[in-house]
Amino acid sequence: MRRSYRPLWLVTALVLVAGCGGGTSGDGRLRLTVATFGEFGYESLFEEYERAHPGVDVVGRVADFDAHHKGLITALATGNGAADVVAVEEQYMPRLRESTAGFADLAKFGASGLRDRWAPWKWEQGVADDGKVVLGLGTDMGGLAMCYRRDLFERAGLPTDRDAVAALWPTWEQYAEVADRFARDAPGAAFVDSVRSIYTAVLNQAGESYFARAGDSFIADTNPNVKRAFDIAGALGASGRTAKVNTFTQPWNVAINQGGFATLTCPAWMLAQIKDAGGPANSGKWDVTAIPGGGGNWGGSYLTVPAQGAHQREAYQLAEWLTAPEQQRKLFVDDGILPSQPEVYRDPVVLEHKDPYFSDAPVGRLFAASSDTIRPNYRGVRDADVRPVFGRALGRVEEGSQSIDQAWEQAVREARDAVR
Amino acid sequence: MFARLDRKVTPYLFVAPFFVLFATFGVYPLARTAWMSLHRWDLLTGPVRFSGLANYAHLFTDPLFYNALANTASIFVVSTVPQLAAALGIAALLDRPLRGRTAWHGAVLLPNLVPVVAVALVFTQLFGRDQGFVTWVLTWFGADPFDWQAHAWSAHLGVAVMVIWRWTGYNALLYLAAMQAVPRELHEAAALDGASRARVFRSVTLPGIRPTLLFTVVVSAIGGLQLFTEPRLFGVGSSGGNDRQFQTLVMYLYENGFERFDAGYAAAISWVLFALCAVLASVNAVLVRRLVGRG
Repeated sequence: MRRSYRPLWLVTALVLVAGCGGGTSGDGRLRLTVATFGEFGYESLFEEYERAHPGVDVVGRVADFDAHHKGLITALATGNGAADVVAVEEQYMPRLRESTAGFADLAKFGASGLRDRWAPWKWEQGVADDGKVVLGLGTDMGGLAMCYRRDLFERAGLPTDRDAVAALWPTWEQYAEVADRFARDAPGAAFVDSVRSIYTAVLNQAGESYFARAGDSFIADTNPNVKRAFDIAGALGASGRTAKVNTFTQPWNVAINQGGFATLTCPAWMLAQIKDAGGPANSGKWDVTAIPGGGGNWGGSYLTVPAQGAHQREAYQLAEWLTAPEQQRKLFVDDGILPSQPEVYRDPVVLEHKDPYFSDAPVGRLFAASSDTIRPNYRGVRDADVRPVFGRALGRVEEGSQSIDQAWEQAVREARDAVR
Repeated sequence: MFARLDRKVTPYLFVAPFFVLFATFGVYPLARTAWMSLHRWDLLTGPVRFSGLANYAHLFTDPLFYNALANTASIFVVSTVPQLAAALGIAALLDRPLRGRTAWHGAVLLPNLVPVVAVALVFTQLFGRDQGFVTWVLTWFGADPFDWQAHAWSAHLGVAVMVIWRWTGYNALLYLAAMQAVPRELHEAAALDGASRARVFRSVTLPGIRPTLLFTVVVSAIGGLQLFTEPRLFGVGSSGGNDRQFQTLVMYLYENGFERFDAGYAAAISWVLFALCAVLASVNAVLVRRLVGRG
């Protein structure tokens, strides 16, 4: 799950910092706070947990992606203010693995025995020190699909049936051709939201991006995967096929609501964001189909227990329950949150699930089908230093202030400086 | 004996709260930041190793630092010159017999009371590329939709407008107070000598409020050095645009400290920032002493 920048983060960050801390609720029950971001769909589960554990009062705290993680880092740096259970998005995991002291080692509560619940790669991302230390329990994952607007496709004279659409673009090169056709036949709307979302999706289909899996060395300048993703996305931006709206910003919400672009790279958690931004008026206009270039993973989170908490064992029990297969199944059916546990995503209830908002797209089959083939992208410890550099470079191409080559050259230079 | 002790100790007790607060929130953070700036210091794991002045050495050869410094200076000029000029004009208008004076004074100060986050959000929407009000108005004159964040000059202008909007009224009231302290007889004497309104303003009012003028310039400069919220919310993230075209010093500090977890480097930036503010404040003190001495 991943929800990026919202302008109110400053306000929420302050509220977060001010309002953190566990303890006992007024009626003597043990209060456990759970900090999440975006859409985790936990509210009803909290009530269920309280019914089963009368001595526990679970309080949820939701912020946006940025505010949530900044709040966690501030809490870790100052040693207080973190919730009892804190969600961490996958892109922050490599960095937090470097400072395991801030988190309870869940292995001491028996987490190692749960290992087989998750897809192996999901488990691996949540552990440190060769698997001896368990940092977090996996929640969802971000299997990749492509969302598209049926009404805009129809206007451009393109097929609207999801299998026929998938057949249009087995590769990203063919996707770019469809974009050209769309621009010719349906002026007024862009084909995709931004260069960045295409770039991220293409890059997440590769096994390695900025750093080598072996030895964590910097390879962004030589890795053909990075250049390829950059060129594919950059070409769409340079030819004006994008709406130039960055994911999760206010203009992006408006563009979704008003049909400003026709396709959107859709990790599973994106569906909830589209519903959120599009509202009931856009129900039935979107559909979901296969993404060019095969499956991939973008995002997904973990539940961690910060070491500063006073009730780590109870917090662990809650986290364990929240990530258990029964709850993951429920979260998918109710909120479309894609489970990261094979037993759950192969469950018939999950596989048969369709989403009426997305024209009854068989989202269960679509996402679960790609789950088995996911090769998660390796993230280096210093990924976060390098990633924004390439995002900004593509932004310059999209704005028209630089050519793809100029932007690439500057990005490589800046990235080398950043990891010096 | 007790009375003597009382006389000796009590005054210190009375002033103690300030010094306790100042030590806690002023001196301690300064000292600790200085100590951090001498280390490779990871925000999450703490000190990695003592590195002496390496952070400062890197900072003074860091092109991104100079970029942020230049942006900060540019936004300061673009925001302060029109702002102080407008404040002077407003103060001159308010410095005459007016009906409902207090209401006018209150109205002028109103923009300053709006929280800065709200100001930044509203103005960022006004300057929006696709649905922004400014774009909408410009299209009446046949202009194409314009991306304010994409160019350095337009982004600086956009951020400057927020600063101007917030601080013009505040400075106007400072000027007004100073103007009212200029002896009326001087105005009357000048008028008797046949000086025009403009001439009186130039030769009597302006010299009379010179210390205040200087004060507002310096305070604006210190505020300008610390500019963060407006440009931070004007774009996405702390980079200030895709080519860092409106990244200010404090945004660069924030990026290093809280996005790249390099607390040591961020501490070095904040000490340089502190030094710059201190230099400005001392320049102010020296100039004011000279002006007042001469006056």
